[in-house]
Amino acid sequence: MKPTNWQLNLASWIYLGLIYIFLMLPIFALVLFSFEDSRFPKLPWTGWTLNWYSELFANDQLRLALTNSLIVSPIAATIATMLGFLAAYALDRFEFPGKKLLSVTLIVPILIPPLILGVGFLGLLSRLNLQGQLYSIILTHVVILIPSAIALIALRLQQMPKDLEAAAWNLGATPWQSLYRVVLPWSIPGIIGAWLLAFTFSFDEFVIAWFVSGFSPTLPVSIYTMMSSSLNPSLNAIGTIIFLASVIILLGVELLLVPIFSNRQTKPVDS
Amino acid sequence: MTKELALTRILPRWNPTSLLKIACLTPVVLYDGIFFLLPLIFLIWIGFWTTENYRAVPGFSLENYLDIFSQLFNKSRYAYAIAQSIWVASTTTVLALILCYPFAMSLTFVVPERYQRTALLFAIAPFWTSYILRLYAWQTIINPNGLLNSLLLQLGWIQSPIPILYTQWGTRIGLLHYLAPIMILILYVMLSSSDRSLLVAARNLGATYWQTFWRVLLPLSKPGLIYSATFGLIISLGDVLSGVILGGGTGQSILGKVPLFSTVILNEYAASTNLPRTSALATILILLMVAILVISSRFAESKE
Repeated sequence: MKPTNWQLNLASWIYLGLIYIFLMLPIFALVLFSFEDSRFPKLPWTGWTLNWYSELFANDQLRLALTNSLIVSPIAATIATMLGFLAAYALDRFEFPGKKLLSVTLIVPILIPPLILGVGFLGLLSRLNLQGQLYSIILTHVVILIPSAIALIALRLQQMPKDLEAAAWNLGATPWQSLYRVVLPWSIPGIIGAWLLAFTFSFDEFVIAWFVSGFSPTLPVSIYTMMSSSLNPSLNAIGTIIFLASVIILLGVELLLVPIFSNRQTKPVDS
Repeated sequence: MTKELALTRILPRWNPTSLLKIACLTPVVLYDGIFFLLPLIFLIWIGFWTTENYRAVPGFSLENYLDIFSQLFNKSRYAYAIAQSIWVASTTTVLALILCYPFAMSLTFVVPERYQRTALLFAIAPFWTSYILRLYAWQTIINPNGLLNSLLLQLGWIQSPIPILYTQWGTRIGLLHYLAPIMILILYVMLSSSDRSLLVAARNLGATYWQTFWRVLLPLSKPGLIYSATFGLIISLGDVLSGVILGGGTGQSILGKVPLFSTVILNEYAASTNLPRTSALATILILLMVAILVISSRFAESKE
């Protein structure tokens, strides 16, 4: 249904533009005000400054939180991706009783609000005396990172010609060897994409980290604490840095996922 | 098909594969068993514990629930908070659908096909930046001296700043900005895979654009709409950040100044660290969401 009506066409383009403005406005404001002189972001522009960036690097609280996040997120993403790869492979290749139930159980954590999971995690961890540590955040983040890892890697595995693995077996490889030598290399783009996605999710996660982190806050938890005290433009600066980092990660995911999606017979579908 | 059959016929003879299957599945089953299912069971169980001297004491008592139910309409006024949550979540979801559906439609039918991917990527981009920092940015935009108000004042469109920050509209803006990229993705995937020959047929048979939309495209989109609505409701009910950072914890409504239920859960834990009671409140939230899922699946089945 391509509208031949130019008015309808024009209206559609204007509408697209308006929604894009809505979607991009906070990012634009973040970047813009990270360079503004005044402490209170206002429209009459007062002047350029890099003060907020130097203040940011001098802020011990934020630096500590960033360090915590840079410990938690990569480890959680790595564990989740490894578990996700094994699960995706097993779900893709094998039949077993309870398969459907298992795949639902593995996907469901991403559908449950982190608020509920956070309370539950704290309940279990405090019972086991594992709460309030960096590893508490890692242990719990892995649960919510597994679903997307499985989904992405399974997508990649589905595209693998089935006879490739069978060929390896016929040539004398054990299933273990073919998993390591054939399936794993094939899945690499999916695995890297899944890792980056998991890293981003973990890096951004607030509620669960708030409940289980105790006195070792991650970056979002620390930002939350700072926000409740005062308006602080160095948050704009850290936002700009995070945005740039996620653009780079997003480009990475895009470059890795394009081959996955364009291999499919159907229309390209994003993650 | 034949290849897969051949493969499964080979499989049973290879003993190592069953070992491989166990080796692949055991880690993830154990992990999710211990760190996902167990916490959920714990959450419901701890709701029945009691607290003595600020320490959770295992047991089985209905104390938490009785206390919560006795405060439904006075003191903590949980019923109001739940009503407020449902109100904000449902209005936000409807707004999000009204905003995102035409966007996905324009994307599918107006933007040339080879640019659609890039256009979609830009629409999803905000999702990848930190949610809490996006909310901070919205704070600088919608506060009384912020970007939006100073722009409108300078243009002379308004005489005094309009209060948006720390109102229910603040909460909605934050939630909309969170939901929009995901809803656009869901609706775009659904619209672009719907059968275009039906639309062409409707046009050829003399239907106007409006009729084609109303009688053909919208019914075709029903599954995607229900899917994204359910998703929007669940996210909005469970979200804490938007209500606290942009809504200011409370929101003025016909019920008076009442916080969202999710905010209540977070704040009660922050103030008291009373885990049994927080768990009981979270269990009530779970029940609320299960009810929504049941209703929406009924919706999806009916009217077929």
